[in-house]
Amino acid sequence: MTRRSRFSPREHASSLIVTALSSAFGVTLLLAIDALATSLRADDVTGSSETVSYLLAVIAWVFISIAVYVGAVVTANTFATIIAGRTRTIALLRLIGSSAATQRRQVAREGLVVGVIGSVLGGALGMGITAGLVGIAVFTGVLPDIAYSYLDPTILLPMLAVALSTWLASWIGSRRVLTVSPMAATGAAQELTIEQARSRRGRNGTAITLFVAGIGILLAGVGIGLVTPLGVLVGIVGGLLSFTGLVLGAHLVMPPVLMLVGRAFGGSAPSRLAVENALRYPERSSRTTIGLVIGVTLVTMFGVALESYKHMLISAVQDDPVYYAGIEQSFNTTIAVFTVITGFSALIAAVGMVNNLSLSVLQRTRELGLLRALGFTAHQVRSMILAESAQLTVASVLIGLVLGTFYGWAGAQSILGSMNGIGTLVPPSIPLPLFLVLIGAAAALTIGASLAPSRRATRVSPVAALAFD
Amino acid sequence: MTTPPPASGLVARVEGLTKQYGSTGNRVTALDDVSLGIRTGEFTAIMGPSGSGKSTLMHIMAGMDSATSGSAWLGETEITHLGDTELTLLRRRRVGFVFQSFNLVPTLDIEGNILLPFELDGRRPSAEERAWIDQLISSLGLGDRLRHRPHELSGGQQQRVAIVRALATRPDLVFADEPTGNLDSRTSREVLALLATAAHEYGQSIAMVTHDPIAASYADRILFLADGRLVSDLPRSSASDISRFMLEMEAAQ
Repeated sequence: MTRRSRFSPREHASSLIVTALSSAFGVTLLLAIDALATSLRADDVTGSSETVSYLLAVIAWVFISIAVYVGAVVTANTFATIIAGRTRTIALLRLIGSSAATQRRQVAREGLVVGVIGSVLGGALGMGITAGLVGIAVFTGVLPDIAYSYLDPTILLPMLAVALSTWLASWIGSRRVLTVSPMAATGAAQELTIEQARSRRGRNGTAITLFVAGIGILLAGVGIGLVTPLGVLVGIVGGLLSFTGLVLGAHLVMPPVLMLVGRAFGGSAPSRLAVENALRYPERSSRTTIGLVIGVTLVTMFGVALESYKHMLISAVQDDPVYYAGIEQSFNTTIAVFTVITGFSALIAAVGMVNNLSLSVLQRTRELGLLRALGFTAHQVRSMILAESAQLTVASVLIGLVLGTFYGWAGAQSILGSMNGIGTLVPPSIPLPLFLVLIGAAAALTIGASLAPSRRATRVSPVAALAFD
Repeated sequence: MTTPPPASGLVARVEGLTKQYGSTGNRVTALDDVSLGIRTGEFTAIMGPSGSGKSTLMHIMAGMDSATSGSAWLGETEITHLGDTELTLLRRRRVGFVFQSFNLVPTLDIEGNILLPFELDGRRPSAEERAWIDQLISSLGLGDRLRHRPHELSGGQQQRVAIVRALATRPDLVFADEPTGNLDSRTSREVLALLATAAHEYGQSIAMVTHDPIAASYADRILFLADGRLVSDLPRSSASDISRFMLEMEAAQ
């Protein structure tokens, strides 16, 4: 009974969306590549279509893995937040004799349900989207009019991966169930225990080591790239290591950046409280923002790398206006395609951020009631939540832009450093339109994420909020 | 429609105040045509059993809830017709609060909590206000706690911080809602003595909602509510007299 009654669609809406998006993304990508391969096979002049479709599939799986990973981070975070809000209910059940392990298994079962429903919905959505896209492509003559299959069995793989990763994420996110004491039900501990960024030496040490070593290897790759384009292979290893270190150590990096960004909003009471709120649960803020950081970093990295490559090529063929126009055109298309594909992870992370802000406001009802009683106007409550939202978004996008520019530059440099003779240093080229789009999206996300929670927060009546003791 | 001017010597009063919850059919009357006044500079206790309407009365008088009918004045201001923003400003500038629990903003340190009403107004305390706040802080022994977070303080200390915050703006009226409900008896006595001192030495008007006879015995005047009506208005009384009165009231029903 409790299992069913506690499954609230509202609580799980965001996890469902994230799961469906990841699954739709995986299915669409695989089917689209399948369609592309089919059309290549039908018109195989060079006999290289097998190699090309193999390469495309490898690339697709890299991006699917990234999306599934970001989705899992977001879902784990969402579940942790949901558990925090359920502390008293869980404590009550513990008080009357339910074991912590049973409680946790129930939460994980909810995760499995969300994962299965989400991935099936997403799979169907993905098939629909691909059919639509291929239809348009055939109609406009981009693809030949032949029979395409939308029921390839390989699409079960991303769906399965998404369902399992959601299950796993809900298990990881429900860790805190084990720490809920039955005492919390007696009302003595109404406030959530502050989940501080505990000093986990092992994890911190690994994170820092990975990051430092990764940057070292990456720079070595750039150095080798001055002699041979093979430097990029060394660079990729360094990039992966350093980024993994960053994700592992997000709880060390994000809080100070959030604080710096928060300072920029001035010292009024709403903005000062906003800074404190974003930093209240450093673990939670880090998990919320790291997904967005990953997304923005990827988008920026491909953008900067391709833009730098484009500039190199353009300076090489400057005297030939025909080539020039061709390069400009094809590169801009490539940048756009990569932005859409990599931007998907950012979109998934954005859904998580919106949800996290909503839940954190929901869980602060009493505090908002106190503030309203003490004289916080509805307007001040709104600006506080907007500032919280802006802080999370601005910090993530800033870090993502800086990291992405660095990684993109390192990639372009290690491939191209040896191109025009030996040892050319290429400055990073910034794809301005892409940056503007990212900044615009960040602004939209800031406002979008704060709308629902602000509405809910200003509806809090001080009486209702302070009434239950 | 006559709205009589506020009687002199009263910091707040209500006239024919009625509050009903729910829709027709299962209507609950929390306050039934209540008229009373809180005197300036006095420590008034509002007593009554659970469900007597004492908390509802406080919420309406403090501008946190709306009335079904009747009027409420804070000083010269009729507050039952004010909009949300005006009520918010009224609470910020003219009313102080001490609640039973959850009085302090957990993310702000003690000084931040005390200065919050000023910050909400976008201003710093004047030199005179600052001196007053410093005096309160030192007389309540909170001087070495200013940089602490609320959860690092004991319940009694947190309640003292809430009292400093409530007194800091020198509001017209401080509302205390079961301020000792979560405290042990020794700490309760300290907090009550503190409220009494604020009224007697600084002339601070205080209205305290409580169901505890010992708490009410610290007040200058005790108003009794039962079933949404004002049933008695006693001067300062001992805890045992108050207890006896409450038992008789119970027996009379």
